[in-house]
Amino acid sequence: MRIIKLAAISVALSLIGSASAIAQPKKTYNIGAAVYGLKGEFMQLWANSLKEHPLVKDGTIKLTILDGRYDALTQNNQFDTMITQKVDGIIFVPIDIQAGAEAVSKAAAANIPVVGSNTRVNSDKLTSYVGSNDVIAGEMEAESVIKAIGGKGNVVILEGPIGQSAQIERRKGNQNVLARYKDVKVLEMKTANWSRAEALTLMENWLTAHSGKINGIIGQNDEMALGAIEAVKAKGIDPKSIPTAGIDGVLDAVRAVKAGTMVSVLQDASAQAQGSLDVLMRSIVGPTYKPQAKIWDHYKSVGLIWGDGTAKAYSIPWTPITLKNADEMLAGSK
Amino acid sequence: MKNEFTSQPSASSSVFFDKLAEFGIVIAFIFLCICLSFANENFMTWGNWVNVLRQTSINGILAIGMTYVILTKGIDLSVGSLLSVSGIVAASLVTGEAAGSVWIAIPVGLCVGMFLGALNGLVVARLSVAPFVVTLGMLSMARGFTFIYNDGMPIANLSPQFRYLGQGMVGGMPVPVIVLALVFAIFWFILNRTTFGRYVYAVGGNEKSAKTSGIRTRLVVFSVYVISGLLSALAGLILAARTTSALPQAGVAYELDAIAAVVIGGTSLNGGVGTLTGTLVGALIIGVINNGLDLLGVSSYYQQVIKGAIIVAAVLIDVSRKRKN
Repeated sequence: MRIIKLAAISVALSLIGSASAIAQPKKTYNIGAAVYGLKGEFMQLWANSLKEHPLVKDGTIKLTILDGRYDALTQNNQFDTMITQKVDGIIFVPIDIQAGAEAVSKAAAANIPVVGSNTRVNSDKLTSYVGSNDVIAGEMEAESVIKAIGGKGNVVILEGPIGQSAQIERRKGNQNVLARYKDVKVLEMKTANWSRAEALTLMENWLTAHSGKINGIIGQNDEMALGAIEAVKAKGIDPKSIPTAGIDGVLDAVRAVKAGTMVSVLQDASAQAQGSLDVLMRSIVGPTYKPQAKIWDHYKSVGLIWGDGTAKAYSIPWTPITLKNADEMLAGSK
Repeated sequence: MKNEFTSQPSASSSVFFDKLAEFGIVIAFIFLCICLSFANENFMTWGNWVNVLRQTSINGILAIGMTYVILTKGIDLSVGSLLSVSGIVAASLVTGEAAGSVWIAIPVGLCVGMFLGALNGLVVARLSVAPFVVTLGMLSMARGFTFIYNDGMPIANLSPQFRYLGQGMVGGMPVPVIVLALVFAIFWFILNRTTFGRYVYAVGGNEKSAKTSGIRTRLVVFSVYVISGLLSALAGLILAARTTSALPQAGVAYELDAIAAVVIGGTSLNGGVGTLTGTLVGALIIGVINNGLDLLGVSSYYQQVIKGAIIVAAVLIDVSRKRKN
């Protein structure tokens, strides 16, 4: 009993000690992160890396992550709650490009800064936006498939849920590139809702409808590209003979890149999450704030510049997954 | 044989209309296939039929369990969630370098489905809560377990032995199709050739008279939810094996396709009337529609409209049949 008490006291003392050590800015900050939904692998990674931000770990920031459950109304209600609770700042990953604007305005009216991350919202009240440009990813993947088939032939496109900002922008990127290649024909273009199972079925049917005619596969995310590869395999075709591309860099895709069956670009969830928190803190604390996340050093050479932390938008670069960095990514996940 | 317990006034006319309904759905199916084979030259090929069967297998297995439940006047909305939780539990046992034996993973996965199905059955049968409510609750709870189990992350890198369940071929037939055929044969036999099968019809036809004639109706009701849970789990294992990863969001809204297959197949939502053959044809109709419209390059939005229209048409047939009776 006494030992437990002693231990408890010493833990309490050490907590006080460490708290006073970091309490130099003398304040803890309440930050709310409203994300559209926590069911996908990407948003899981995003949320987990946000919790790994140095200031969250040392207790300076009290972070609350709110799951919007893929519903614009839920997200709006969560904004109301955060405004009532007078949080110091909000990170916003909206489900809908239009519906989120109203929520941002309400927060701005209450003098709460809002930094967007990952998905876009149509609002000029946003303090800043930290994300990756999906148009560029769409261009990169289309380019790599078309190059691999020698600039001519037939491709199919697996689209995300029609109307989501990532689908709209990735399609734009796909089409920017396709417009430059007159000898590339799009045989089919249809949504598989980011889903591996749906893409698998769709691709099986396309392989039947266009037997032997499909030269390349453009998947607007990795899951769908992976589903398409399974369909190709099931048909008894060597997946290496039909160049396939995806976007996001989920673990299974990294494995597939290693196996040589697809190409993909990594969307850095950690950089988007931690970067947006740094930018938000800068707007709360002021010019004395120094960014804490490692990502600013990591991406400095490829054009991500912190500056004074007040830019309206920060674009996190896409990293093509190669045989070389695939191993690092797989190792890093363990 | 089965109608001595049903509430229809005349056994012979009921048999006649049952047969007609089943016959009607087969004719509709053949008609659909003929139309599609004219519309697209690839439709009537061996390779495409392998696709259709493989794509139907998961919904077909779910729909067989659903038929049992609906025959007792119940409904199981939780099949999609049970599918996903069983798949992810089984997958966690066969992933990475420490991959265990499929002979452990498969039974464990099936037991998860059966256990959660048994919970459904217990509350429905013992506490007499409406099946719609109980299984709606389970839909949410089991989905929650799926996310809790692996912190919302998918489980990939499954062992080749496990993937065989979804990707393997035996004599030119995909393993999932063979599993569907076996499941159909077993559960057709149970429903049509055993006392338990007769009780399932009896409980759905008229629970009171079933009870007075000495049937342990609660046990029968309990059992159909266990069956539905078991078959949901089996479908979940096949889905994970097919897509080479168990996703926590897998199987969302699968209950709708399963119920649709049962209803298109002529099983009455009022219980007591219906056949597994009808359900199988119903599942095939959904599979063929999806496949055919993909082959023709029709937008997926129209696919949803067409599928919905067919479901309503099937129920209309069901209603008009009752009126005749």
